[in-house]
Amino acid sequence: MSENNNTQFETAFEVRDLDLYYDTFQALKKINMDIPLNQVTAFIGPSGCGKSTFIRCFNRMNDLIEDCRIEGEIFHHGVEIHDKSVDVVQLRTEVGMVFQQPNPFSMSVYDNVAYGLRCQGVKDKNILDEVVETSLKQAAIWDEVKDHLNRNAMKLSGGQQQRLCIARAISLKPEVILMDEPTSALDPIATTKIEDLITELKKTYTIIIVTHSMSQAARISDRTAFFLLGEVIEYDETDVIFHNPADSRTEDYVTGKFG
Amino acid sequence: MEKDINNSKDNYELISEKRTKRRTMYKTIDTIMRGLFKLSGLISALMIVLIILFVTIKGLTVFLPSYENPVDLGNFLTGMRWRADQQDYGVLFIIINTILSSFLAALIAFPLAVLSALMITKIAPKRLSGVLTTIVELLAAVPSVVYGVFASGVITSLVDNIASFFNYTTFGGNSMLAVVLLLAIMIYPTITSMAVVAINAVPESHELGSLALGASRTQTNFKVVLSSAKSGIFAGLILGLGRAYGEATAVSMVAGNAFVGPTWNPFGITRTLTSTMLSGMHETAGVDYDIRFSVGIILMIVILINNFLVNYIKRRIESGE
Repeated sequence: MSENNNTQFETAFEVRDLDLYYDTFQALKKINMDIPLNQVTAFIGPSGCGKSTFIRCFNRMNDLIEDCRIEGEIFHHGVEIHDKSVDVVQLRTEVGMVFQQPNPFSMSVYDNVAYGLRCQGVKDKNILDEVVETSLKQAAIWDEVKDHLNRNAMKLSGGQQQRLCIARAISLKPEVILMDEPTSALDPIATTKIEDLITELKKTYTIIIVTHSMSQAARISDRTAFFLLGEVIEYDETDVIFHNPADSRTEDYVTGKFG
Repeated sequence: MEKDINNSKDNYELISEKRTKRRTMYKTIDTIMRGLFKLSGLISALMIVLIILFVTIKGLTVFLPSYENPVDLGNFLTGMRWRADQQDYGVLFIIINTILSSFLAALIAFPLAVLSALMITKIAPKRLSGVLTTIVELLAAVPSVVYGVFASGVITSLVDNIASFFNYTTFGGNSMLAVVLLLAIMIYPTITSMAVVAINAVPESHELGSLALGASRTQTNFKVVLSSAKSGIFAGLILGLGRAYGEATAVSMVAGNAFVGPTWNPFGITRTLTSTMLSGMHETAGVDYDIRFSVGIILMIVILINNFLVNYIKRRIESGE
């Protein structure tokens, strides 16, 4: 693990001694990590290693799980996100999330993208129109849906639905986008489109992505963390993790000896 | 050695023969079962056809010239008076009464039912939600005659008190308001249980998606959960309205059976299609008996149109948004 806390990059999050328990089971163990701003950070590791649990810490989605207890700290621009002064709704508008299964709401494409802003009380049609268009454009799906914005989003293909979900997350102009295995339910072509999109989005957003696919992590991420049984075994630049890992377990995993 | 091989060959043939036999047996069973399914489908379809046919024929005879004392169809459909003693049978005001009281009942019960369903599925802690579910199930299981007794004992006196507060008098509380309140109570469990099922069918991922977009719990429940569940909730509304239109026993006990209408005053007595069909059915004969079948036809048509309309509204809402 990278013990160096004097980071050379601007950080979006600083995680300090994070422990997470589901009832009595400890799912995450003493995690320390600095997430760089405007880069793609990938979490890899075998199933059940805690990477999805960890990504849900950044927008406090674990709050919704009963019996889930978190110790330790996560700083977001100097503020500890579990602090009482932090409004979790505000946090979630700053830290967007894209889920493993595309989960558009059963409403029109337009309403899906406008949903977040409407929940913030934005009613002005002009603003909504503009945000819907720019978000869909940024998510590289505008050309496919611009002629039927009123069609129910459930009728889109899986890959389109996932890009719509990314557009939905973008609509709130978050600083960070969390992606929990965003391509695991998609076919290779749709996956390529999402990966291209991520590469494009990282110019504007900080992206944290959980992935099962090591090649995906190698292709799109700047830094990679390798998780094993709730611990971060190694966290470094992606090149180092894949070509010159410090820990033999990392090497075994990335070369496919287990997983 | 050779013998062994022959032996095993015999075994093989024996086995394959058994298989063929079994396969023919399965095929026969399949054929028999398919016949049984067809038969039961046919019987239930036949029942519906027979009921409709019988009611329609019997209901239409009173309008035929060959009938002893024929009723004028035009007057029947447009009339605003129902005087059996004067051979005056007008059903239009009864249709209006029926639709009005059922609609008002749904207006009260529907929002309550949807909110209760949200409470049961999303808000209440597990134990409370179990208790509430049991209550709703019990409400649905209460026989309608028991609701009727309750209504004529409790709701009527309540209505009477409300009426005297507004300086109105009632016929012992028998009134449209009593019918509306009674029906609201009766259809509430129907709509609630359908809404609970519909809400539970909304995938959790939709809720998480909404919460992750910074929506509050309340926003999530109303904008995402209810909007995804609306199809099932509307199905509940259709069932509830159907029950309201068709409820006879309890309604007859508090309707008061007005001779003229339609009834717009909530404290005035009313007359519904079902109460017209039911009350005094066994003490009468001739036209007054046969015309109840005509009212039955009207009731079936009202329910049919109602279902079409609700389905139409549902489709409009689904595609319009």
